[in-house]
Amino acid sequence: MSVTREEGLAAWERIYAVASHPRCTNCHVGASGVPMWEGLSYGPGAAHGMGIRADASRIGAQSIPCRTCHLTTDSPNSQPHAPPRIAQAWRLPPVELDWLGKDSAALCAQLRDPATNDGNDIAGLVAHLQSSPFVAWGFAPGGGRSFPAGSVAELAEDVALWGRAGTPCE
Amino acid sequence: MGRIKTIARRSFLVGSAAILGGVAFGTYMYKREVENPLEAGLAPGEVTFNPFVKIDAQGVTLITPRADVGQGAYSIQAHLIAEELDVDLDQVRIEPGPPSAAYYNGVVAAEGMPIAATSDSMMARAGRGASDVLGKLMGLQLTGGSTTVPDMYDRLRLAGAVARETLIAAAAEQTGLPKDQLRTQAGAVVLPDGTALAYTDLSSVAAEIPVVQDVSLRDPSSWRHLGKPHMRTDMLAKSTGTQSYGIDMQMEGMLHATTRTNPALGGGILGFDPGEAEGMRGVKAIVPITGGIAVVADNTWRAFQAAQAVSCDWGPSPYIGDTEDQFAAAAASFTEDAQDSRFKDEGDVVAALEGAADVLEAEYRIPYLAHAPLEPMSAMVLLSADRLDIWTGTQIPRFMQQAAAAIAGLEPDQVHVHALMSGGSFGRRLEDDYVRQAVEIALQLPDVPIKMVWSREEDMTHDFPRPLAVARARGAVSDGAVEAFDLSIAAPSVTASSLARLGQPAMGPDVAIVAGAWDQPFGIPNYRVTGYRVPPMVPVSSWRSVGASGNGFLHESFLDELCHAAAVDPLAERLRLCSHDVSRKVLETVGEMSGWGSDLGPGRGRGIAFTLAFGVPVAQVVEVTDVQGAIRIDKVFVAADVGRVLDPVNFEAQLAGGVIWGLGHAMNCEITYRDGVAEQDNFHAFEGMRLYQTPQIEVRGLENGDKIKGIGEPGVPPAAPALGNAIFAATGQRIRTLPFANHIDFL
Amino acid sequence: MKLIVNGKTHEVDVEDDMPLLWVLRDELGITGPKYGCGIAQCGACTVHVDGISVRSCQLAAADVDGEITTIEGLGNPLALHAVQEAWMEHQVAQCGYCQSGQIMQAASFLALNPAPTDDQIDAAMSGNLCRCGTYPRIRAAVKTAASRL
Repeated sequence: MSVTREEGLAAWERIYAVASHPRCTNCHVGASGVPMWEGLSYGPGAAHGMGIRADASRIGAQSIPCRTCHLTTDSPNSQPHAPPRIAQAWRLPPVELDWLGKDSAALCAQLRDPATNDGNDIAGLVAHLQSSPFVAWGFAPGGGRSFPAGSVAELAEDVALWGRAGTPCE
Repeated sequence: MGRIKTIARRSFLVGSAAILGGVAFGTYMYKREVENPLEAGLAPGEVTFNPFVKIDAQGVTLITPRADVGQGAYSIQAHLIAEELDVDLDQVRIEPGPPSAAYYNGVVAAEGMPIAATSDSMMARAGRGASDVLGKLMGLQLTGGSTTVPDMYDRLRLAGAVARETLIAAAAEQTGLPKDQLRTQAGAVVLPDGTALAYTDLSSVAAEIPVVQDVSLRDPSSWRHLGKPHMRTDMLAKSTGTQSYGIDMQMEGMLHATTRTNPALGGGILGFDPGEAEGMRGVKAIVPITGGIAVVADNTWRAFQAAQAVSCDWGPSPYIGDTEDQFAAAAASFTEDAQDSRFKDEGDVVAALEGAADVLEAEYRIPYLAHAPLEPMSAMVLLSADRLDIWTGTQIPRFMQQAAAAIAGLEPDQVHVHALMSGGSFGRRLEDDYVRQAVEIALQLPDVPIKMVWSREEDMTHDFPRPLAVARARGAVSDGAVEAFDLSIAAPSVTASSLARLGQPAMGPDVAIVAGAWDQPFGIPNYRVTGYRVPPMVPVSSWRSVGASGNGFLHESFLDELCHAAAVDPLAERLRLCSHDVSRKVLETVGEMSGWGSDLGPGRGRGIAFTLAFGVPVAQVVEVTDVQGAIRIDKVFVAADVGRVLDPVNFEAQLAGGVIWGLGHAMNCEITYRDGVAEQDNFHAFEGMRLYQTPQIEVRGLENGDKIKGIGEPGVPPAAPALGNAIFAATGQRIRTLPFANHIDFL
Repeated sequence: MKLIVNGKTHEVDVEDDMPLLWVLRDELGITGPKYGCGIAQCGACTVHVDGISVRSCQLAAADVDGEITTIEGLGNPLALHAVQEAWMEHQVAQCGYCQSGQIMQAASFLALNPAPTDDQIDAAMSGNLCRCGTYPRIRAAVKTAASRL
């Protein structure tokens, strides 16, 4: 099935809308290791409170483990302002997957290149989206948190489609 | 009067007639001996010499009636007694004692009077004397206003000395040795041959002889503990999780309760439907209380869950419901009718401003603030047919006793208040609303111990906050000097609001509206401070350093503005204007500590502020760095004079804590209302300061003041203006509305 | 369900989603861990699960998957843990209500990172709120404890 460049670009627009949502960018931060607290009630540009840094370990190993507060459990996230939790150890994505504040073109270029996207081909990205409990949580964060439009399935489908269209950016 | 005061200090005997002020006021009532509440509960073989010391064969008990809310009150009270009694504090029991008129506070009422700390006029002395009379006649047992040390300094040492001398007399009686051959050490009377007669073994003899009232206090030069670093008596328990707070009380068969009252303050409850809450696991009862409901269950969490499941029909708040309207009401209160006080009116401000080439004008705003002690409000209650027991942390045990008695239909002496260590207070436990609720629950479930615990959300949204204020300031400078300073402050009355809830009248102007602003030791030629009373809105109360908590910011920020307008150094100008030697030394000291005047380098700034509050002059210098538009607070220097430092370790802790309290709230905190509901309901939205934002803090205590003072609160007021002034120095941005974080980022 | 707390096994009959904090406090009478916020904003409830600090107000009873240590199990008045010794030496506590959590946080932190930098101390300890403002002494005590561990 062939996919037009226009369809690919439209898919990328939808992908970018999700990826640039605070629910994603709050964790896709770079080497600073400082998670963000945007998209709730803390205002634009709000960093994670309490001076938290996940460090190079991405799990806060040198200071306070993320899981001290973000427990590893499939219990629901119903309390507003309580630390969100999933059935996997809470952590930040790898430093390479840093796109907080990046525009569409920059993020697109980053994500389509395995050299800058943590070594993923399109199938790898789709698999990540489909299997990551973080991504699943992002679409249903609970506790009054905002979340991007769409679903895991739609996002994965868009990434696949974008890939088949040759990962157009603009 | 000076001589009377001196005599009073020498001859004021615990449990006997005190003469201070007795000439002018109801002499008989005032001179009457206060009852010793310990006599009622004496077991056979037990002896008490005064309301503060009790001894039996098992041990020595010291009574420390001022509440410990974290400021170390139990420890310092025990040390004051022990210094004279010669006991080691690890050998004695320390108890807060029962509610009693004997434990009246003789100095706190003076905080409500327009007496400048720097004044030693006849009126000032008469006012301070009247405070003692008022406190005694009212049996005003209250912890607050940084009064524990000034109020108890002589009384507790005398109590220790009276007990010691009586025990020596008992030993003399028992051994036939003359008293002057006996000495005391570590809980024993020591005979010339070195034999130690333990106080506990002397108690029965001591009980049979008259109490020795003619005692003198030791000279501070011979103190063993006071004035030197010592270990707080609560430190081990608090480092091992073994300190029991009100929330930790456990009793056989107890139930756990929580309350849920209308989040729209004062709105009341029109009706409620327990719905599924009734059938939830562990729920024993869902009962109405004033303004809401209570759930009683077998576990606090189950009570929390069920309380949320109850469907409540709330009434609307009767108060101005939205914060912007609350500020508008304050801004509309600068009228002749609403003028509350003008305690400071030097020179001719009006003429000076009219004649000035340039008049500097500014409007300032400070927000409502919650106390939010980390231990939420809680109380254990047990009501039986003729007795009510209450275990809780409180600063007002006698008011609480009376309020609880009225609710339960008992006499006050049937209500037994057991004061417990508080997990913080900052003024919150000057209210008894939570205990009233617990008693209402107990009335509906008598004969079972009930521990009521508030959720954090209930606590933060049902606080009695520090009131907001709007201030209008005008000033003029000339020839490099501040010439005119005219500050008008409009705020609701804390005093009227609090006293009404205690069933007490509040007469005359409310000093709290202008405290920390009208009474500053500066000789500005044209100098006026006017208070305006904003009509009551949401109920408000005392918050660590009360009126000065915000007024220090208003006064010192605007003084800084005038210094900059006059192009004079803010420290040099304060020193030039300072009319009080003790305060001047405090300013000089902080200048020296901070290296004031030296170059900090680019992007950095320092600010100074000074507030004389609770009789304690405190000066602070804050150093900040502007890191790409975000402020990092690097260092704070603090100098303070309390006359005499009794424990340098705790002195430093209280001042550092005061700085952090002042800075943290000024940076990050406000309580705002929407439809009468506080919008901040937990620490994510009201966190004060956290460790990562905490600067280095360097403290120095001076002892030039002629009166001993308390240090729990005075560290707070200068912190916010010193920070604001430092931000201005570093960035050129003058922030006049708190919290600062609404206007500038902090690292 | 079974919980091992301070080396002792307890059988408790509670809902799966009851937070460990309330199991400890109200079912087992272990009151060292404190309730301050219920949403992991203050850290007063901090305990260890297999040595790692955890906010017990967030940990559902059914999710406990290791041995729990509370402040009562870290040390006691007669045998203080090194962190508690440092807390005594610096006289950290004021009201003391947050200090069980502070101490448990510091002990877990120093076990993972025995030679922390000042920045790491700040980051590790900033999730624990202290309303009294004991932070300067917390910093100093953590350093003292680190130097001895």
